[in-house]
Amino acid sequence: MSLASAAAEAANATKIYGEGDNEIHALDGVSIRFDVGRFSAIMGPSGSGKSTLMHCLAGLDSLSSGSVSIAGTDLAPLNDKALTSLRREQIGFVFQAFNLIPTLNAFENIVLPLSLGGQSGDEAWINQVIDTIGLRDRLKHRPSELSGGQQQRVAIARALASKPKIIFADEPTGNLDSKTGREVLDFMRRAVTDLGQTIVMVTHDAVAASYADIIVFLKDGKVAGEMTEPTPERVLDYLKHLGE
Amino acid sequence: MVKLSLKMTLARKGRLFLTSLAIILGTAFLSGTFIFSDTLNRTFDQLFSDVYRDVDAYVRSSNFVEVQFGGEQRARIPIGELDTVRSVPGVVNSVGAISAFARIINKDGTPLGSTNGPPNFGGIVSESFSGLWSADSGRLPVGPTEMMMDSWSAKKGRFQVGDTVRVNAQSGSRQFTLVGIATFGNVSSPGGATFALFDQPTASEFLLAPGFVDAFLVQSDGSLTDVELAAKIDAALPASAKLETLTGAEITKEEQDLIGEALGFLSTFLTAFSLIALGIGCFVIYNVFSITAAQRLRENALLRAIGASRRQITRALLIESLIIGLLGSILGFFAGIGLSRGLSALLGAVGFDIPASGLSIELRTVIITIITGVLVTVLSAILPARRAGRVPPLAALRDTAFETTGRNRSRFTIGLVIFALGATALMAAGAGANTAFLGLGVLLVFAGVLIVGPGVARPIALWLGHPIEKIRGVTGAMARQNAARNPKRTARTAAPVLIGVALVTAFTAFASSVKAEIRDSIGSQFRGDYVVSAPNNGFGGLNPTLVDELDSMPQVAQATALGYATIKINGKGEFVQVFDPQTSPGLFEIEMVQNKQESLTPNGILVSESRAKSRGWVIGSKIDLEMVDGTMRELAIQGTFRPTGFFSPYFVDRQMFIGTNNSYFDSVIYLKLTEGVSAAEAHDALVAVTTDKGLGELQSRDEFIDSQSGQVNQILALIYGLLALSVIIAIVGIVITLLLSVFERQREIGLLRAIGMTRSQVRTTVRWESVITSMFGAVIGVVLGILMGVVLMAVLADNGVAAFRLSIGSTLVILVLSFVIGVLAAIYPARRATKVEIMQAIATM
Repeated sequence: MSLASAAAEAANATKIYGEGDNEIHALDGVSIRFDVGRFSAIMGPSGSGKSTLMHCLAGLDSLSSGSVSIAGTDLAPLNDKALTSLRREQIGFVFQAFNLIPTLNAFENIVLPLSLGGQSGDEAWINQVIDTIGLRDRLKHRPSELSGGQQQRVAIARALASKPKIIFADEPTGNLDSKTGREVLDFMRRAVTDLGQTIVMVTHDAVAASYADIIVFLKDGKVAGEMTEPTPERVLDYLKHLGE
Repeated sequence: MVKLSLKMTLARKGRLFLTSLAIILGTAFLSGTFIFSDTLNRTFDQLFSDVYRDVDAYVRSSNFVEVQFGGEQRARIPIGELDTVRSVPGVVNSVGAISAFARIINKDGTPLGSTNGPPNFGGIVSESFSGLWSADSGRLPVGPTEMMMDSWSAKKGRFQVGDTVRVNAQSGSRQFTLVGIATFGNVSSPGGATFALFDQPTASEFLLAPGFVDAFLVQSDGSLTDVELAAKIDAALPASAKLETLTGAEITKEEQDLIGEALGFLSTFLTAFSLIALGIGCFVIYNVFSITAAQRLRENALLRAIGASRRQITRALLIESLIIGLLGSILGFFAGIGLSRGLSALLGAVGFDIPASGLSIELRTVIITIITGVLVTVLSAILPARRAGRVPPLAALRDTAFETTGRNRSRFTIGLVIFALGATALMAAGAGANTAFLGLGVLLVFAGVLIVGPGVARPIALWLGHPIEKIRGVTGAMARQNAARNPKRTARTAAPVLIGVALVTAFTAFASSVKAEIRDSIGSQFRGDYVVSAPNNGFGGLNPTLVDELDSMPQVAQATALGYATIKINGKGEFVQVFDPQTSPGLFEIEMVQNKQESLTPNGILVSESRAKSRGWVIGSKIDLEMVDGTMRELAIQGTFRPTGFFSPYFVDRQMFIGTNNSYFDSVIYLKLTEGVSAAEAHDALVAVTTDKGLGELQSRDEFIDSQSGQVNQILALIYGLLALSVIIAIVGIVITLLLSVFERQREIGLLRAIGMTRSQVRTTVRWESVITSMFGAVIGVVLGILMGVVLMAVLADNGVAAFRLSIGSTLVILVLSFVIGVLAAIYPARRATKVEIMQAIATM
């Protein structure tokens, strides 16, 4: 495991909002790497910079200083067009809500990043993904005809469809009840274990985080610690400790 | 609440501006029309009160024939009665007056002044009563070789005193010595017309007939009132002379009313188009308010939740519309001032010169413009405002920002019923019912289509989007779905395009039918090689001796003249076509049904088959005819012919006019060349006697047919120009809707950008959505337009002779332009869509 390559890496990443007295260091010199084939979680209290870190890693936002790279590609010199195609081809996204385009059906949503790139993708792989999420009979349905949990599963399938180097999930279970949330987390777990994918998930839910292989804790824009083989109890414990 | 709606209005300045734009454009057209018409009216009113300022009484013939489209032709009066008038006590002076056709020819042989604009007059100027004419330079003309002209013409033609000037009039083409240049009152030329002035004997002989004038102008010594003087003169004149006397005030008013009537027609025409623009503006406003109300659902629900009443919510929106209406109308009024100039320019561009003059802005214009603008805006906002008021407070907690788009079956049925009623009314109008059915039918058909619109918008938008999806892939698919996702909105946005396209299509189809008709009828009648023609706007033309001159040329084998005249048939003024039965056969062929054209005599008349049928006339039937000079005749129907589209249903013999005391000009002279004479040789010889003297235009057969049918293009160009503003409003409507849709879909666009949609793909999606929307309007518009064109053709073409002909080319051009409109309208909204910040869009998730 120690020889694994980095799917995403941040070096001395700093993000400053505002100026002068109003200056806020959302990220304050964060250096971190996320290994290929792992399910990682980023945790931390509100305002700790966990979402900012994820957005900067994913090329949605830019750093004030420092650097980030995806699968060895430094994002800093990339223009909007290059960043867009990087997001399309090498990164998958799952957001908390509003993940799907309402006018497209489930299947069209799943292959959307591929279609945008003018590709049809690896059919066998897409079939495997669809079977894994277990929504083959709902492929022709519009998002409004799917339950919240089903929508999130379609979103994860979309993130997987292009075989990205890394998937970023921002509170993917935040809008779901605990039972559906667990289904979605199980599915993400399987995507890593069975399908060999790499997932980085931002969450503040200890149960959700306990599905990950490793948890990175952030506080005040800095890395505050790491935890492997987490359980909900240990995570809650750690967070309590972190809050002090 | 007022304060709140004021704040809410001002908080959205961009939207405020765009919504106002629809109102600004609509009201600008309205106020522009008013200002333009008022200015024109005032100019002519002023002109006529100037012309008759020193005239206390006016004597003229009581014989006249009313001309279609207003105006009249009056008989000439003998100059001898002038002595009778002069002998009436109270008369200090009286002179003859003539206002007849006389065209000044430039030094290079071209006619001076525009051929479609203000008329070219010839008249009398005399020492004893020069009216308002005062010599600028030189002196008054005396004798048969001298003339004077107005200073505008002199300047335009670069004439100086001492020059030799050619003038064409009733008696032919002659040269005069220019002895003076005159100014009319304090203007160089009244109303932009041209004037060639002579002494009385010369003017009578050259312009009318020796010893005749059009009227007597009388000056009073002041001992009697004008009314008393006019009565005295009337009493002194013998009844047999058939003269009548008017006071100066009466003739001034009569002339002002006459031109006022003609101008009234023009301003009604313009007003109709400004109302179309306003109506289209209504749709845009209604649409914008509907979308805004839907987007503010949560905001309004929140207000309701914290205690605002339904009425307060509705009122807030209405106040917003009031502010927009007021602001837009005020700006529209000012824009109208500029637009009135634009209308002058537009009319000028298609050949109707309008005399320039200061602007006439009346208080009425300000009031009507602002009240109409505000009313239109507020009325368009009422439905959306009421809908906004019905928002349940609970909606604040729900996560919907979309309009409800449930398909409404009863709505669909009602729309279809209204459409069917309209179509029935149109068919009735086409079959010959009252033309009121036409207007009603058009309104109902439009209303029906607009009501049904939302019901069919989804399937049609999906159908239209199909090829786009095939070509553009996933961006096309999304554009297609976006255009179809909100059928009500799509239908409302497309409505202005639909109306504009329908009107353009109808007029275009109508025009091409008329053109084809003209082409066919001239083509079948005219068998010669060359044509000499003069524009005839009911005033002047080619002097009747020209045809004889041409006929005597060795290069010409045959020449025949054709003209138009006004006569009374069974007591009613009618336009008749005038031809020569002796010289026409083989060169100008009428498609006869009964008898032959060459058997027509000056005591007979040819009638169209359908007119004869409708009046119950047969060969030999007698009809009463009265000429302008009062001559009464009884004519026999000597033949019937197949009617040709838009031409008069009567033909009379040219000999009825030649040598009589009635003004008559030929409009065209058809020529057949002598065998063996080359076209080039003939052309040179013909030019020498025609165009070199400013006598008409010499054209080959093909050129003539092209230019005759091309005249329709002028009217069409004017209509296009007037519809342009409506089309701009329609574009503004699409722009606003797209902007609001982009605003509404920010999260969606942010998501798409995050998962890998490039900026240019975002643009593509918005662009194709816009194109689908405008094509939706265009396709239905074209269908409606063709329907209207067919009906219009059936109604306007007398007896349904002219066949409807659809120009496939023009229709395709209209569709292509609608496509371009869609692309253009999307430019700004698409740019806004690419500017959506991914981070912000995601943050609001």
